[in-house]
Order: sequence, then C-alpha cells, then structure tokens
Amino acid sequence: MTTTAEYFAVMSPQIILLIFALICPALDLWLKMRKGIAYWTLIGLAAVGIIETLALIPETRSLVSFLFWTDPPTTEVFQISAFSQLFTIVFIFVGGLVAYASPPYIRKEKHHGEYYALLLIAVTGMSFVASAADLIVIFVGLEIASISSYALTGFQKSVKRSTEAAMKYFIVGGFSSAITLFGISLVYGAGGSSNLAQLGTLVTVGGALEPIVILGIGMLIVGLGFKIAAVPFHMWAPDVYEGAPTTITALLAAGSKKMGVAAFFKLFLVALLAVKADWDVVISIVAVLTMTVGNLVAIQQESVKRMLAYSSIAQAGYILIAIPVATDYAVAGGILHVITHAAMKSGAFFVIVALTVVGLGETMKDFTGLNKRSPFLAFSMAIFVLSLAGIPPLAGFYSKFVLFSSAVFEASGAYSWLIWLAVAGILNSALSLFYYARIIKSMYVDKGESTERLPVPMSIKIVIAIALIATIVIGIYPEPFLSASLGAAEALNNLLPIGL
Amino acid sequence: MIPMIDWLIFATLLLIVGAYGVLTSKNGIVVLMSIEIMLNASNVSLVTFAAYSSELHGFNDTMGQVITLASITVAAAEVAVGLAILLVLYKRYGTIDVTKMNFLRW
Repeated sequence: MTTTAEYFAVMSPQIILLIFALICPALDLWLKMRKGIAYWTLIGLAAVGIIETLALIPETRSLVSFLFWTDPPTTEVFQISAFSQLFTIVFIFVGGLVAYASPPYIRKEKHHGEYYALLLIAVTGMSFVASAADLIVIFVGLEIASISSYALTGFQKSVKRSTEAAMKYFIVGGFSSAITLFGISLVYGAGGSSNLAQLGTLVTVGGALEPIVILGIGMLIVGLGFKIAAVPFHMWAPDVYEGAPTTITALLAAGSKKMGVAAFFKLFLVALLAVKADWDVVISIVAVLTMTVGNLVAIQQESVKRMLAYSSIAQAGYILIAIPVATDYAVAGGILHVITHAAMKSGAFFVIVALTVVGLGETMKDFTGLNKRSPFLAFSMAIFVLSLAGIPPLAGFYSKFVLFSSAVFEASGAYSWLIWLAVAGILNSALSLFYYARIIKSMYVDKGESTERLPVPMSIKIVIAIALIATIVIGIYPEPFLSASLGAAEALNNLLPIGL
Repeated sequence: MIPMIDWLIFATLLLIVGAYGVLTSKNGIVVLMSIEIMLNASNVSLVTFAAYSSELHGFNDTMGQVITLASITVAAAEVAVGLAILLVLYKRYGTIDVTKMNFLRW
C-alpha cells in the first residue's frame, strides 16, 4: 500500500518549481536587487534539474489518482519515466537559459517577480504534460503552460506589438484548447477510460464507436496542431513570436512547442496507436505541408526574428515525421530533434536578444557586417543556422539523419509511401539553406555602416555560449544523446497501467 | 430517458456556435465569451459520456465528471488572464475591436 507521501514524492519536481515560483513575487517586493530574482529562479530550476538527472529512477513510478480512493487503486494520472525525465530536462534547460538572459533584456520593465514566477509556472506545466499518464493531466498541463505564456507574451505592456501578440495568442490558444478538450472528450467517451495506457487497449479498430474516435482524432490534430503551429494552423505563430519579448519567444519556440510534441507523442503513440490507420496519412500530409510552407515563407522575410519563427514551424514538420513512422528509432529521432532544436533555436533567438539589448534591431539590416562588430555573435549565429539547416557535424544534422533514415527503414509494403516523408524532409533542408545562407552572407561578406564594437552583456554571452557548446557537442558526440532518446522512446512504449 | 445522441448533438451545436463567434465577432469580450461556450460544449460532452458509460461500455466511469471540474477551473483562470490582456489592450489601442489590431501582419 502506497502512502500519500509516496504519491506526492513522484510529483516533487513540479512541487519544488511551484514553491520557487510563488516566492518570486515576494522577492521582488523585499529584495531591491533585480538580478537576485533571476538567480533565485535559476536555483529552483537547477534543483529540479539535478533531481531529474541524478535521481534517475530505474523503474517507472507513478502517481495513482487520489481523487477516487479505491483499493486497489486503478487509475493512475501521473508517471515518471525516462520519457518524462528527458523532456523535463529539456524544458528546464530552456527555462534556465531564458531566466539567465532576461535581466538585461527586461531591465526597463516593472514587475520582474511576476515575470520569473510565470516563467517557472510555464516550465511546471510543460513538465506536467511530459509526465502525464491520463488525459486530464495532459489538458491541465497544456493549460497551465499556455495561460502563463499568454501573460508572458504581453509582458512589455508599454510596447504595442507585445500587447497585440498577447491578444492574438490568447484568442488562438483558447480556441485550440477548446477544440483539444472536445477531442479529448470524444476519445474518452469512445474508449470509456481517461487513462492513456488503458485507452491504448480499449480503442480498437472496427468497434461500433469508431466514428466517434475518428472525429476525436480530427479534433485532436486541429487543437494540438495549433499548439505546435503545424500548417494550416500556423498563422498565429509568426505574429506572436515577433511580438513577444525575444526571451519569451525563445521559450515559446524551444519550450511550448516541445510540450505540444510531447502531447502528440503521448496521445497518438500510446492512446490511439491501435487505430494508427485512421491518422497516419493525415499526420504525414500535415508534416510535409508544415515543413514546405514554413521554409517557403521564411525565404521572403526581412525580419530575422520572423524568419526564425517560420523556420521553427518547418522544424516542427520534421519532428512530426516520427509520429506516422512510429518505430522506437523514429520516436528517438523525434526526441533527439526536440533536444537539438531546443539548443540551436533558443541560441539563435538569444543572439537577437543580444542585438536588441545593445540597441540594434532584429531585421536583416542589423545583421550586416556583424562579424566586424562582434565576432562571437556572428560565429554563434552562423553555427546555429548551419545546425538548423542540418550541416554535418553539427547537432541538427544528426537528429535529422535519424529522423529521415527511420522513415526510409520503415518504408516497405503497404507503407512504402513513408519514403516520401524522408524525400520531402531532405528537399526542405536544402531549401532552408537558401535563407540561412542569406544571414551568414550578410554577417560575413556584406560591409556594415559601422564597425564599432558591441557591448554585449556577459550573462547573454554565457547563455549563447552554453547553447553553442550544446549544439556542437551533440553533433560530435551524439551517441549518449541518441541512447537517452532511445530509452525515452522505449519508456513511451512501456507506458502500461498497474491494473492491466 | 433522453437518448445519448441528443446530448452529443447539443454539445456539437454549442461547439459550432462558439467557433462561429470566435471567427466572426469583432468585440474582444464576445470572443472571450465564445471561447467559454466552446469549453462548455466539451464539458457537456464529457458529462454525457460519463453519465451513459454503463450503457456504452458496461461499467460505471466517473472520470468524465472529474475532467469537467478541472476544465471549469481552467476556464476561469483563462478568463482572468484574457480580461487582463483586454484591459491592457484598451489602454494601448483605445478599443477592444480585435480586427483593429494590425500592427503585426496577421
């Protein structure tokens, strides 16, 4: 018999994050040192990061539903596994980078305490989704993270476009949450359980309730498609990413989007795996559309921040390849791309943060001749965009290689069309090189108006350096990261309930 | 007893009404209310499936009602943040007409 304390021990990372979050606003009131709150946030994130990495739990532990105290307990809602740990570490990594880079960027704003509190709560919500074993936890986790991101997007209340981005994000986010919840209700109704693993056995092909399941799958693809900004549900993403404070853009692109991917994996590869024939073609089409439209529109952008937003849409398309292929190797590729994308995309956004802090803008013009003004920023940006394009030996190459090759391995018999996913991915990588090369050309070849050195704050330099090291190290030594991703993919497969 | 399908049709109609409101109305408050209607449509459908679970699956399942309680709480939090954003928007733009916001290309 498990005691209440043991149930809650499973949730300790989230509880620690919440305690740290609730103290942040109080610190703002008493502590006059602005940077102190950022350090406090970092301590909280580091504590949870250490718990998640060092206390690697050999077997899966779960929080059994304490809402219905039945004996023996049948419904589990929360589960720690290699999957949830890996995703939580990614979210904490991104959250830590954002917290450390924020003080110079938001120095002119008020209410720093609330900023860091909302940041921690958003990370908590994301890790909830990663550890969910039940539909209710997925929904509540998505909402915790989304609602705090709406507020964070509108944090610069004096800036017109920040407020507007918050409003757009709120409308689209609320709309997509409502559709996701309706999809959840249909899947729950057709399966007769809200537990993901039980749904995996209860939702079957050919049942009388299959039409309801198909309708539910459609709703879930639309709702979660909005969350990860998949085409044709992507219209909001460039506006919100451009309008939000750039540090928060890094969180949205590298954190929130990955939370949607985790929800996609949990819902489609655990709960709805038995009816794979109903959704694999649809998700493949969405994946190909997402990468193609994202890359094509990115070419025309003059604002680098907006270009990176479109490139982030395209990257979500690559990750979606893992879902129709659905082997452990493919899911590992998807998870590896989540890790590498978190490092390289947040790094690219932090370069823009650095340029904004020193008084430059975020258009292509501001990148002209950057090599003369700050060789470090130019070099890091070049590495990040080359990695995003998938140039070996950088991180982006390896994760894309695993993703595309998994589609090629599976392509046989009735599933021979999977090879077109790999073909589309490779063609799109070549296409994306076109606009990434434009950034590199304007930084290194073109002559800028000024060659004055840029006084980039130390903390932002450190954050960019960390993302840079991660991008290069994952590219050169991918084995430990690939085996961790494979372990997470197996843990996703083994998400089995107690009473089944 | 009212057949289950009637409740599901009711829920679907609510969802469509809400979606129509979100997509067409100009007033920010009306958009907010339409999102609430959509969330409530899901609540109706969840409660329906929970109430008819013994007919559908042969066992009694109450989880749908629990999810509804959670979703009502979430909806309240969402409205609070939404109204706060609308307030800031009114201060900045002098209007809550969501079609007037074209500083960023939609």
